[in-house]
Amino acid sequence: MKVFHFHHFINNLKFIYHQPTAEKVQEIREVTRIERIGAHSHIRGLGLDDALEARQVSQGMVGQIKARKAAGVILEIIKEGKIAGRGILIAGQPGTGKTAIAMGMAQALGTDTPFTSIAGSEIFSLEMSKTEALTQAFRKSIGVRIKEETEIIEGEIVEVQIDRPATGTGAKVGKLTLKTTEMETIYQLGQKMIESLTKEKAQAGDIVTIDKATGKITKLGRSFTRARDYDAMGAQTKFVQCPEGELQKRKEVVHTVTLHEIDVINSRTQGFLALFSGDTGEIKSEVREQINSKVAEWREEGKAEIVPGVLFIDEVHMLDIECFSFLNRALESDMAPILIMATNRGITRIRGTQYTSPHGIPIDLLDRLVIISTSPYEEKEIKQILRIRCEEEDVEMTDDALTVLTRIGMDTSLRYAIQLITAASLVCRKRKGSEVDMDDIKRVYSLFLDEFRSTQFLKEYQQEFMFNEMVPDEMETEAS
Amino acid sequence: MADLWLAKLQSAQKTCLIQDDRRKIHFTFADGTEMAEEYDVKTADLLVRKWRKKGTLGGVGRWEMEVGEQSLPVNLEAEGLMESNANPIFVRKDTKSHFQWRIRNLPYPINNYKVTAKPEERHIIISTVNKKYYKKFNIPDLDRCHLGIDQSSIEFAHANNTLIVSYKKPQEVLEMERKFLQEMKKMKASKDGDVDCTPS
Repeated sequence: MKVFHFHHFINNLKFIYHQPTAEKVQEIREVTRIERIGAHSHIRGLGLDDALEARQVSQGMVGQIKARKAAGVILEIIKEGKIAGRGILIAGQPGTGKTAIAMGMAQALGTDTPFTSIAGSEIFSLEMSKTEALTQAFRKSIGVRIKEETEIIEGEIVEVQIDRPATGTGAKVGKLTLKTTEMETIYQLGQKMIESLTKEKAQAGDIVTIDKATGKITKLGRSFTRARDYDAMGAQTKFVQCPEGELQKRKEVVHTVTLHEIDVINSRTQGFLALFSGDTGEIKSEVREQINSKVAEWREEGKAEIVPGVLFIDEVHMLDIECFSFLNRALESDMAPILIMATNRGITRIRGTQYTSPHGIPIDLLDRLVIISTSPYEEKEIKQILRIRCEEEDVEMTDDALTVLTRIGMDTSLRYAIQLITAASLVCRKRKGSEVDMDDIKRVYSLFLDEFRSTQFLKEYQQEFMFNEMVPDEMETEAS
Repeated sequence: MADLWLAKLQSAQKTCLIQDDRRKIHFTFADGTEMAEEYDVKTADLLVRKWRKKGTLGGVGRWEMEVGEQSLPVNLEAEGLMESNANPIFVRKDTKSHFQWRIRNLPYPINNYKVTAKPEERHIIISTVNKKYYKKFNIPDLDRCHLGIDQSSIEFAHANNTLIVSYKKPQEVLEMERKFLQEMKKMKASKDGDVDCTPS
């Protein structure tokens, strides 16, 4: 008993001591697991009106009116879905919103149009050849809408029970009881299912469908029998009848799969044969041909529909001459998606050759592209973007601080200014302030160097760094 | 009509193997669908019959049990969710004269169950008064012979937490099974272990 008390005391002490941090950590964990704030998570679309005119500030987009309008036109082409294999190049200085425009296009297209985003350097891997990686990226960007029979579970939730293990770490154990008007069944849940149930905030009284093959949970609404606790929920809650009959049903659903997914389903070697195949992740061209003809067959029979999507290659100057010639050829296929590329290079060497070319892309490929160019942001626009980012990161900032930060953004770069937001808000929180003010900005500005100041510093103290004996113009030849 | 089914079996590609006192026969039909059956070597009772169909998008599906019980353990993580083993478990296990279904883990007394034949929809429904269990199933054997479902052939009993539903096999089905058994005896079966392995 004594031991227990002592232990308890220690625990309590720890608890009190650690409480604030522990709570914080817990809180942050819950949030991060659901959605993290990325560099472009404030982008929700292109910010165009019905006439394709760009609004000055909308859907997280600021400025770049011309580029956004152009992107809007491209979007219409994609939505019509008739034209295959168009190439678009977004060119502009660093930090002028090239990736943001591509992300905006992805958001505007919605989830039913495949949008694949890769970086140019991603295709260089030892696992597979460059062209294979590009082919896979191409095929990931072509969707096929097809009817498929799947097994679903449809019922009203009676109880969700998720237990954390007593030790605090390890796998959670979950149980889900579902019912229809005729029956009731208890299901055991795997980790993924527990997570998606928590994410969907599914609770007793909800009517849900679970796709057995994909594990996707869809909430249909609340059960009518729960209608009396109406006060506890919003006005937009939909009430539905409890399903009848069996919980498990076979249903025909229309969904979009990408060509790459079909490739993978059909190329997986099974059983002991997998031992001999030496799986490199590459897909045989015979399999692809077979699938192309199968898809063409489905299309003729009216069973399937092709949804051409978008392949976005960021930092496209990182591709080499072989990839570019592959792209030339691949764009001509009638199964090709719309290809969007982005680059921040001017006239530079084409990778893998001694030739220079605009944007580091060979002229023959450039000839097949339409080019959208972005221009540097103006002060007003930078301020607006910073304001949007503050909102996205839940940071309160005084007007003065924002003005200073905008100035910093103008003098250094937009990215640097955005990075300072997070840092400054942390500094502000540490001094228990509620709003980020000028001093916080100054503080982090002195703590973190931007690229320009760092270069200055290096120039001054060059002699004290390692390998300084290297002659500058020798370095230059090596770099070029 | 039963002949049609026999002819289909005849035309399928067959592999036969005797293993663990079971005669295992694997059929591959022209459309790529597979069927596997297991018979007791001594009594010639059907122990397992399962099907595997090609998915719409290609690739192999999973085995679906028609007769017998799934013996492979299920991986909860890969599945996402599975029925808890405390739930009623529905298994078909035939006898010589009857199609028979056993539903284990059903503790409720016999007057809780209703077993109704729906001849027009070609299936049988087991329902419960207390709304805890409900099952709709058809008899593929009857479908293959194009025979109707008849309420008067159904009997059911309850003992040891198990509900047993039996359906008397019609004459046509018995005849077909007899014919099939004769065919099966003629089939050459390889013994376990002597797999044909000619190095090429």
